Amino acid sequence: MRCKRCHGPIRSRDTESLQKVWAWLIAGIIAFIPANIYPMLLTSTLLDRSEQTIIGGVIELLHYGSYGIATIVFVASIMIPVGKFIAIAYLAWAVQHRSSRNQHQRHKLYDVVEFIGRWSMIDVFVVAILSALVQLNAVATINPGIAALSFGLSVIFTMLSALAFDPRLIWDEEEPVRHD
Amino acid sequence: MTEEYAAAELDMKPGKPSFWRRLSFVWLVPILALLVSVGVAWQSFSDRGVEIEISFPSASGINAGETEIKYRDVTVGTVERVEFSEDLQEVLVFARVDQAVWPFMDQDAKFWIISPDVSVRGITGLDTVLSGVYIEGDWDREADVAQTSFTGLQRAPVAPPGQTGTEIVLRTTEGSALSAGAPVLHQGIEVGVLSEPVLSPDGLSVSVSAFVAEPYDALITSSTRFWDTAGFSVSLGAGGVSLDVSSLASLIEGGVAFDTVVSGGAPISDGYTFDLFSDEETARSSLFNEVGRPKLNVAVLFDGSVSGLSVGSDVRFQGIRIGQVSELGAVVVDDEFTERRVELRTVLAIEPGRLGLGEEATPQNALDLLASFVDQGLRARLVTGSLLSGNLTVELIEVADAAQATLDVSAEPYPIIPTTASNITDVADQAEGVLARINDLPIEELLAAAIDVMDSANALLRSDGVIDTPEQVAGLLADVRDVVGSEAIQAVPGQVNNLLNTLEDTIGGLSGIITSVGDADIAGQLDGILTNVSAGTENLPEISTQLEQVIAKANALQLDALLAQAEASLAAIEQVASNDDLQEVPVFVNQLLDEARLLIASQDVQALPGELRGVADEAGQILSDLTAQNISARLTEAINAAASAAQSIDTASQQLPEITEQLNALSAEAARMDLDELSAAATQLMQSVTEITATPSAQALPASLSSALDEVQLTLAEVREGGAIENVNAALQSASDAAQAIEEAANTLPDLTDQAGALITSSGDVIASYGERSRFNNDITGVLRGIQEAADAITNLARTIQRNPNSLITGR
Repeated sequence: MRCKRCHGPIRSRDTESLQKVWAWLIAGIIAFIPANIYPMLLTSTLLDRSEQTIIGGVIELLHYGSYGIATIVFVASIMIPVGKFIAIAYLAWAVQHRSSRNQHQRHKLYDVVEFIGRWSMIDVFVVAILSALVQLNAVATINPGIAALSFGLSVIFTMLSALAFDPRLIWDEEEPVRHD
Repeated sequence: MTEEYAAAELDMKPGKPSFWRRLSFVWLVPILALLVSVGVAWQSFSDRGVEIEISFPSASGINAGETEIKYRDVTVGTVERVEFSEDLQEVLVFARVDQAVWPFMDQDAKFWIISPDVSVRGITGLDTVLSGVYIEGDWDREADVAQTSFTGLQRAPVAPPGQTGTEIVLRTTEGSALSAGAPVLHQGIEVGVLSEPVLSPDGLSVSVSAFVAEPYDALITSSTRFWDTAGFSVSLGAGGVSLDVSSLASLIEGGVAFDTVVSGGAPISDGYTFDLFSDEETARSSLFNEVGRPKLNVAVLFDGSVSGLSVGSDVRFQGIRIGQVSELGAVVVDDEFTERRVELRTVLAIEPGRLGLGEEATPQNALDLLASFVDQGLRARLVTGSLLSGNLTVELIEVADAAQATLDVSAEPYPIIPTTASNITDVADQAEGVLARINDLPIEELLAAAIDVMDSANALLRSDGVIDTPEQVAGLLADVRDVVGSEAIQAVPGQVNNLLNTLEDTIGGLSGIITSVGDADIAGQLDGILTNVSAGTENLPEISTQLEQVIAKANALQLDALLAQAEASLAAIEQVASNDDLQEVPVFVNQLLDEARLLIASQDVQALPGELRGVADEAGQILSDLTAQNISARLTEAINAAASAAQSIDTASQQLPEITEQLNALSAEAARMDLDELSAAATQLMQSVTEITATPSAQALPASLSSALDEVQLTLAEVREGGAIENVNAALQSASDAAQAIEEAANTLPDLTDQAGALITSSGDVIASYGERSRFNNDITGVLRGIQEAADAITNLARTIQRNPNSLITGR
């Protein structure tokens, strides 16, 4: 069955939705591991050469007293991705178990996840901009590490996971009959 | 209310497709991601390298995660963490190194920390100022059992990383001139480097490691000697003053040099320990201390002081250094014949190889050789090595007339070489010796004797007779001079030979005659005659003026023409001389000379001087005898008498002017002689000589000359073989006898002079009576004529000889 206007496939439900959600989610989580283990930034200066992982960077920022920036980085790079994993997992789990509770809240949660998804690349943006700007040969050089790529992949997989989720499934279970 | 009976709604659901059919392709994504992640993780794990552990005393500048481990300036690992050992003794540095390199980190791997270093030789590790220190590692290129635990070096090893060579240890007593990084020089070229000197725990020595790079390490053997080239040294030794200045660089930073003086050393391995000598000379001479080369130890017992001799002094044999003094000491000698006494024993360490016995010579060989030398007269003695320093050296020298001695092989602890008198030219000693000698002179006695002599001489001279003597002696000498100047005397030497022969016969008789002379008045008469002759010769000056005239005339002769002729004849002679035969003459002459030399060398001739000395001794005795008797006084008497006789002769010689006139006439006649003719004849003679020399026979003259020389040679040979010399010796012997006879006769001379005095007195009377008698004068005139004729004859003879020298040889 196709849409008469756009000829796109029309289905009342995406039956394979949960499979895709889980698959993308797992891929995103897998990608998230090296993103935290491996260094995000390779910084070479005249005197020093350092590699910083995400957590390492946050700790370093805290050492320097930049609590605000540390908070931002921590939230954007750790809390949000992890929160997205948890949120998507919860949504998928709830659908699978035909939970009929909190259907409104769950739908809002889905909207939030989908909205945040496009802003999750802040870290990657920072790394990309720094790497492009700070190429001063011997004096100072910043290069992206493996973690940057992993982090980007992780964000993309998470977004795809969120997209694969069919929010109508939330509503398929009948709201429990309220017996007045 | 509920609709209770409403039919239950049929719950219709599409049948679920099977699990596998519903499986989405999306699952590939996480699987891929998982695979990739696992792959990356695995690769990362497998590539992370091997953890090794290096312990350092301190981890100055090492940062975990930053400090790198480099091998030949390539990073092969990174320090991961730094910890303390359990007992806090050391710092443990854990690092991961590349797996490709790790298998090479076997037991010989070394790690040390590179930090900036500024020294005389330059700045090293400058890059570490900015980058921080790093750990340098070095290991060989052969993989062995790889280790994971290492002990780091406190300082960089001597050998530059990656350079092969040999590391040795130099031991010295004083290390102030040594510094890490100072060069090891060979022939002035840097072939290695020193590391930091280390004081031994007991504080007695300093050892420093040195690395000598390939291929120069092959130059080092166990017989190599190292010496310090730092600074400059002035040494004053047996060889004089020596000043050694090395390069300016080594003045500042020090350095050592080495040389392998003798071959035959064994190859060395890493860690071989050498002694470092303070200068080159010591190093070179130290070869005698070489452990590997056995030395021959012999002892010498010197009688006198060995002050100036020291351990290390040279031992020389025929001027060549063969060893050195290894020990000086005193030993108590206690044998049964003498009392206990202390002898100074000098032990000589002799290198057998230096005695010319070759490299493989053993001490026993050398001992045998020395023993045979000692039998031939080899002795040890002290000689002055240097006048300046007074150092002594021991010299083994062959003494020609040494008393018999042997090498005491059985002596303990070392064989003993016999000694001979030392030859110590000590300036002070010599001066002392001279003074001692002067001191020993019997000057007082000498002076007393001299005073005595002078006193007696004074007394003698004061006597009247002596005062008169000089005048008389002067007259006598004038007479003697005249006599000696006469040609006859000049000819005497030629006749002496004959005379000697006849003398031999004559003297025998003479001896008898002389004894009778005392009785006869012959001597007195002779004396008178001589006095008369003396007076007569006073007129000779006139004769000589005549002769001068003759000579003047001879000067005027046409000598030029004669000379021209002579030149021509000389030219002819030259032709002759250029003849081949003549060229042989020198050969003959040489042979002749050889013969003559042989003759002279013959023992008889050698004995001549002895004989002559005997004669002279005899004559000396005679004279001394004569002196002893109071001759002078008697002579004075005799001379006084002769003076009175001369006065009478003076009156008698008033007739002499006549004789002089005769002589004048004779001279005038001689002057008138036709010398022109003579010169013409001489000219002719020369011409004929020229002709003769031009004739073939004259050309053959050299040949005959050669044969003549042959004959002379033969004659000389005969003379040598014949008893000519013996004859002369016999003659001299007889002369000696004669002289003895004369001596005996002289003993009677006092009587004789007395007699002569009486004779002269009486002859004075006789001569006084001669005054009027002209017959005596006539006789004298006749005698003079005869003399003149004889002189003419001699002149002719001389001319003949002059013209024809051959006649002397050929006898014509």
